[in-house]
Amino acid sequence: MTESSCAEHRRRLATSRWSTLPPEARAEVERHLQGCEECRAFAKAERELDAALGRLPRQAAPEALKARLAATLRAEAAPPSVSSRWAKWRDGRKLRLVSATAAVVLAGALSVVFALRPSATERLVDEAVNDHLRVLYATHPIEIESGGIHQVKPWFEGRLDFAPVLDFAGDEEFPLQGGSIGYLLDRKAAVFVFKRRLHVVTLFVFRAEGLPWPYLGNRTLDGVSARLEQSRGFNALLFRQRDLGYALVSDADANSLERLGHKIMAGH
Amino acid sequence: MVSRLAAPQGYLSSKPESWYAKRVSERPSQASAFAARVLEQADALYNFARRLTHQASEAEDLVQDTFARAIQARDQFQEGTNLRAWLFRILRNAQLDALRRAQRSPLAKLADEEREAEDDSREFLRGDFEIDRLRRVVVADIENALASLSAEARSVILLDLEGFSELEIASIMSCAAGTVKSRLARARTTLRAKLAEYGK
Ligand SMILES: [Zn+2]
Repeated sequence: MTESSCAEHRRRLATSRWSTLPPEARAEVERHLQGCEECRAFAKAERELDAALGRLPRQAAPEALKARLAATLRAEAAPPSVSSRWAKWRDGRKLRLVSATAAVVLAGALSVVFALRPSATERLVDEAVNDHLRVLYATHPIEIESGGIHQVKPWFEGRLDFAPVLDFAGDEEFPLQGGSIGYLLDRKAAVFVFKRRLHVVTLFVFRAEGLPWPYLGNRTLDGVSARLEQSRGFNALLFRQRDLGYALVSDADANSLERLGHKIMAGH
Repeated sequence: MVSRLAAPQGYLSSKPESWYAKRVSERPSQASAFAARVLEQADALYNFARRLTHQASEAEDLVQDTFARAIQARDQFQEGTNLRAWLFRILRNAQLDALRRAQRSPLAKLADEEREAEDDSREFLRGDFEIDRLRRVVVADIENALASLSAEARSVILLDLEGFSELEIASIMSCAAGTVKSRLARARTTLRAKLAEYGK
């Protein structure tokens, strides 16, 4: 056997798709193997490598990622807005970078600056509504089905870098459906999904630190300054307790949302 | 347990003024069909991304970046060609961009690969000794060995494992079709050498 023909046969053998190659191609190599001990050893090792690689488990995309991808795709699927959505997405990434740096350098000063800008609240509401839409239209919006709050809350452990405080376990008017992990602006959020008759109500709980937080609440619920906003046909109720931010979003009416907000703040 | 939560019945019709409802009715069915087909590849893309990157969060960013790029470049996709290969190519380009951003030159990585191949080419024939070790490696060994390869070597092995043809791999990795076989052979030889070490 010439050395070059051995090299060529080995190149053919070195693939996980060996068994799918055309029979003629394999037959040719196998004829060579009968007379070439070195290539035979090579072939044996290659098939053993296939077996080893075959042991690798396939890793499925996390459901939260799939939900985000589905939302991105659906939102972008309308051609006229593709470029603007793309620009928005890029800007969003830049903003995240900027805010990550700024959070270190400017800390509290940042939120004051943002609070002076009316668009900051809009941005937060806009993002919360987007995330609510993701919940509505995701293939698997709920990762942990509710068997009660005592199943949902521990599920978040290890999935978030904070403990989402929620003492309201759902009731007849607002049954808790389940939970998942979401993203709000630059951070992870615990997502709790409630229902109010036919309406889905999404509650996002997230670290409030460094966020453009609306200070000027126009409502006070249980002594907590809260803010009710409307965007694209949805109601959003924002409030903050300790260092956590809460955003409730739904197409349910504003009164229902405030009632649920009250239950969440009061813990029953 | 994972359950589906469908949008409530009549949700869209009860809110005709809703921004989203408008978007839904305007959306060409072609575009959403494309979106659905792209979404079907999420697991395969994530699996690939997860093995290319060091952290789950990096892999998630990469897949998300891939989807955004795919939607932006949708018009460039030719119906009748392999959507899967097209998406893997986008993911690979996104990863190269990420590497460039991290200032790790892919060319340097390529050079690494050439070096690895040279180092290991002498000792790829170890007969039953190697076979015995390969049989004993566990998943963690395989993952570590893969992770220790250059990005280029790892990519070509994984793409082959995904079932892509030489031509498809060439298109995904933007290289000449004629070089795929030899790149793959070198990469697998390097991997075997590393695995034989783990299986000691
Ligand atoms: Zn030979």
